[in-house]
Parts: sequence; C-alpha cells; structure tokens
Amino acid sequence: MQGHSLKRRLLVLALSTVVVVWVGASTFIYFDAREEFDEVLDAHLAQDAALLSAQAAHELDELETDHAPLLHKYARRVAFQIWEGGKTLRMHSANATQRHLADIEDGFSDSVIDGQRWRVFSAWDETGQFLIHVAERADVREELARDIAGNLLEPLLFSLPLLALLLWVAVARGLRPLDKLAAELERRDPETLTPLDADAAPREVLPLIERLNRLFARIDSTFQRERRFTADAAHELRTPVAGIKAQAQVARGATGTAERNHALDNAILGCDRAAHLIEQLLTLARVDALDVAGAQSCRLRDIAAGEIAMIAPVALDKGVHIELPEGEEVAVRGNPELLRILTRNLIDNAVRHTPSGTSVRVAVVQQEGLASLSVCDDGAGISEQEMSRVSERFYRPADTQAGGSGLGLSIVRRIAEVHGAAVHFSRADNARGLCVAVTFRF
Amino acid sequence: MRVLVVEDDALLGDAIQAGLKQAGYAVDWMKDGVAADHALGTEAYAAVVLDLGLPRLSGLEVLQRLRSRNSSIPVLILTARDTVNDRIKGLDAGADDYLLKPFDMGELAARLRALIRRASGKVDLLLQVAGVKLDPAAHRVTCREQPVDLSPKEFAVLHALMLSAGKVLSRAQLEEQLYAWGEEVESNAVEVHIHHLRRKLFPELIETIRGVGYLIAAGKVD
Repeated sequence: MQGHSLKRRLLVLALSTVVVVWVGASTFIYFDAREEFDEVLDAHLAQDAALLSAQAAHELDELETDHAPLLHKYARRVAFQIWEGGKTLRMHSANATQRHLADIEDGFSDSVIDGQRWRVFSAWDETGQFLIHVAERADVREELARDIAGNLLEPLLFSLPLLALLLWVAVARGLRPLDKLAAELERRDPETLTPLDADAAPREVLPLIERLNRLFARIDSTFQRERRFTADAAHELRTPVAGIKAQAQVARGATGTAERNHALDNAILGCDRAAHLIEQLLTLARVDALDVAGAQSCRLRDIAAGEIAMIAPVALDKGVHIELPEGEEVAVRGNPELLRILTRNLIDNAVRHTPSGTSVRVAVVQQEGLASLSVCDDGAGISEQEMSRVSERFYRPADTQAGGSGLGLSIVRRIAEVHGAAVHFSRADNARGLCVAVTFRF
Repeated sequence: MRVLVVEDDALLGDAIQAGLKQAGYAVDWMKDGVAADHALGTEAYAAVVLDLGLPRLSGLEVLQRLRSRNSSIPVLILTARDTVNDRIKGLDAGADDYLLKPFDMGELAARLRALIRRASGKVDLLLQVAGVKLDPAAHRVTCREQPVDLSPKEFAVLHALMLSAGKVLSRAQLEEQLYAWGEEVESNAVEVHIHHLRRKLFPELIETIRGVGYLIAAGKVD
C-alpha cells in the first residue's frame, strides 16, 4: 500500500493514547501513594515512639544496654534508640548504630546513616529522662509505592498486544465504508460516470462522494459534448463532400464545355466551403479547450478595426461597406486571440447575410460599467423564434443562401461565455437585418 | 421521367440536378421542406430524392405528409446520419431506399431507375414491346436487334409509353415527364418527338387516340 495507512495511524494513535493515560494514571497513583504512606508510616513511627517511651519508663531500669531482637522481615528496616538523658545509649535495635539517629530531639527528620536514608521520629518520654529515636529506612516507602504503581503497569504491558489486536479489528470494521467506496470505484470501468450512492455513506465520507459526483457529472457532460460534436462534425462534413463528389461526377459526364466548367467551378467552391467548415470546427474545438487564463487588457476598437481591415476586401467584392464610427477606445480583460476570433465571426456573419449595396455597422461603446461590441447588417434578419436558436451548433436559418458553416455564432457564444459576456440578438434599428451585441462586464 | 430533388445545400442540389439531367431525367429542385411538400401535392413525379435535414419542414415530415396523401411515389432518402436508427426511421416513415452522403451519382441514378421500375410493376430490366427493346440503365434502344439512335427527349417519351404500355398517356402527362418546372416547353414538342419515334422505329408502334393522347398497346408486349 502506498502512502500512510489510515488504519495504522488510527491504531497507533489509539494505543499511544491508552499508554499515555495509563502511565499518567500510574504515575499519579505512585506519587499519591507515597504521600499517603508518608503520613501513615509517620503516624506509625510516632506511635512506636510513644509505645517505647511508655515501656522505657517502666522496664528500662532493669535493662542493660542491649539489642532488641529481630522479629519481622521489615524489622531490619525499622530501628530505634533509647538514650538516657540524651547522652547514654540505654537500648537500641540490632540494626541501629551507636550514634544518634537524628540530630534533633523532637519531631520528624530525615537523616543519612551509613549511606542509607532514614526517616526518624524523635521525642522525650513523659518523664523527660529518655530521648527516643524511632527510625525507618526511607526506601521501604518508595518500594511500597513502586510496587503499587508497578502492579498497575504490569497488566498494561500484558494487555497491550491484545488491545492492539482488538483495536485493529475495530478500526478495520469502522473503516469498512471507506473500503466499500474504494471497491466500488475500483469496479467501475472508466466509461461509467453515474453518480455514487450518497445515501448509504457515512457523514465523514459525504463531502468526498459529493466532490467525486460533481467531478463525474462534469466529465460526463464534457464527454457527451465531445461525442455530439464529433457526430455533428462528421455529419456536417458529409454534405459538402457529397456536393464536391457529385459536382466532379457531373463534370466528368458533361457533354459541353460550359456545363463541365460550371460543375468544376462548383466543385472548387464546394472545396472552399468545406475548408471553411473545417476551419470553423477547429476553431470551435480550440475555443472549447481554451479559457481566459492569462487574461490581459484588450482594446475592443483596435481589435474591431484590425478585423474589418482583414474582411474589407472580400466585403467590397460583394459590394458591402463596413462602418466603424469614431469613438473612444474601450478596454476589457480577456484573451486577445479569442476576442479577435469573436469579432471576425460576427463581422463575417454580417457580411455573408447582408445583400450587395448595403452596409455592415460595427460599434464599440462603453456605458454604465458595460462595454459592448455590436455588429448590425441589412440582411433579411431572423424571426424571434430563430433568435433563440441561431447560436446552436450547425443551426442555419431557413432560406439562407449564405452557405455558412452554421458554427460562427456558436463560436461567438462560446467565447463570450468564457469571458463572462452576454450575447444579445435584436432587429437592426431600421427594422431590417440583424444586430448581434456582445456585452462585457468590467 | 420527371423527378423531384429536395436538398437545401446549394452545391449538392445543383450537382444532383445536373447529374440526373445527364442520366436523362427532368429534374425539379426544391430547397426546403415546405416548397417540396407543395410541389409533391401539385405535380406528378416518377420519383423523389429527399434530403432529411431540411429547413422549415424536415424531410421525414415531408415524407409522412406525402404518404398520408396515399401517394406511392418512390422516395429515395439522402442522409448524412449513418446510424441504423436513422435509417430505420426513414424507411419506417415510408422511404423506399436511402443513400448515405457522400454518394456516387451513378449509383443514385441506378437506384432511381430500380425504384421507378419496381413502382411500375416491371421486373425485367429491359422493357420490350413488339421487337423494340429499351434499356433504361444503358440508355439504349434496339429495334429488331438493330440499335436506334434517339435524342434524350425521344428516349424519355418512349420510356414513359413503354412503362405504361396498355395505358393512354395524355400530351400533358408526357410533357410533365419531359420538362422540369420552369423549363420552357416547346409547342408541339411531344408531337414532334412522337413523329421522330415512329420514323426511327416503325409507325404502328405508337397509336394516337385523338383528343386523348398516345398509347403503346399492351397486346404488342412480347
């Protein structure tokens, strides 16, 4: 498996948490126990001292300086001394030294004797005759506290592998919806773009599924658009090719020169149209793939003037005059190459559809935060109903003699979309012809 | 034979018209569905070449309207869509044949001949009447095994009469078969063609029914 495993991560986190909490608890109990032991054992020392002093008052008279016998395994760790008048050692336990166990004569103290740490309680008896030291080795207390903490830690050590195993199973079960999702994605062939079922998915995975579904939908629409485009393109290319072939065959079968030349001229015209169609198809495909990344400030009037200069010779041949009234420059942000294609298509379209002897009017204006490029012709115009359809791919209005590709306005619309601009169709001011306006926000 | 071509593409329509004229047909060319529907309602055609993607009225609708008028004119569909579904739709709407663009002009003419022959109930490729054989595909006529040289119009008149042997065709019906819409009809043209045919073949072949028309008698069919 590549990358890090979510299961291992969860397992390690859970186990570390358990260990940290457990060790923390043990540490707390250790210190807490130490404190409690100190209090309890100090109380014992004080009590022992009280017992000794009571005894000393009655019995020590008969005793010589002597050792008390060892009675318990912990006894070696407990020691006492009874000093008469604080000067003469009258009695002491076997493990006690000949020197004073503590420097003070009243209360608790810690002292180090022969490298061992002792807790000592010192007190005078009621008569004030004997000084009594009762001592206990400090490591007893630590040992006890350590034992208790150890008893707590030991099961952790043993249960850790079992805990790890159980956690592994639990994590695996908990992450099963993820596995199911992965398996479902694995099973899909790349063509399947139906959305994943979001109902059964846990809440945490929902955003992921929603994102995936949105992605699937986008890819699907792109696929469909491309498929339709390819089918349409093949279909649209068949007719001009059929025309060229038929004209060529007519030319071959012609009996007179005039008939043959007419057919050959038509075949050549057919080639020009097919070439134009292919050109437009390629432009559309390119526009589909492009966006306004690297948008720059584009001067609409400049672009319009440049494109008019390119088309003007063809237009004049046809007896069509193209006008661009003077005005101020209008700049919009966009891709200059795309905006040139848009402008060229609008003007080319107008020139195609306007009759000889009329004019095509191009205008670039700016008002109320909107920049607009409009092109009006004096052609037959189109009906309201057709206005909603003219920018569909390959749509050509009825009675059109212009022989366009049916793609020009699709290209215009697509480029406008990319630039966030709107395309409006309307009747020209003189109630004849068509006006197409592209409005940019900026 | 007069056929109707319905095609909105200017270059393709022009080529089909010219090509079918070369094959001896009189051709009317309509560029949209409404005009085609109107023409089919008023004129008599031997066959129709119909493009499907037409402005104003689709080819399929033109076809459905034609069939709803109980017309059995053979219809050949020209289509740029090559999915099986498109072909099924066309044939189910009443088309007799279809051709996928781009097509061969020769094949279009041949299929039209086949459709027209089938519509006239003839199975034989050659039309034969009283020792006269007419080959529509090769545009050849023989009389008692001797080749006869006929002009395209003479051939068309003979073809029409032989196709409906035993039936009288009026002068107007023959003119309709000979001339496309808008083509100038020479006065007495049919009489002139009949005269030439009688001279080039033999006079008894074509009978004149005064005030009605012309006839090749069914009894003369071999």
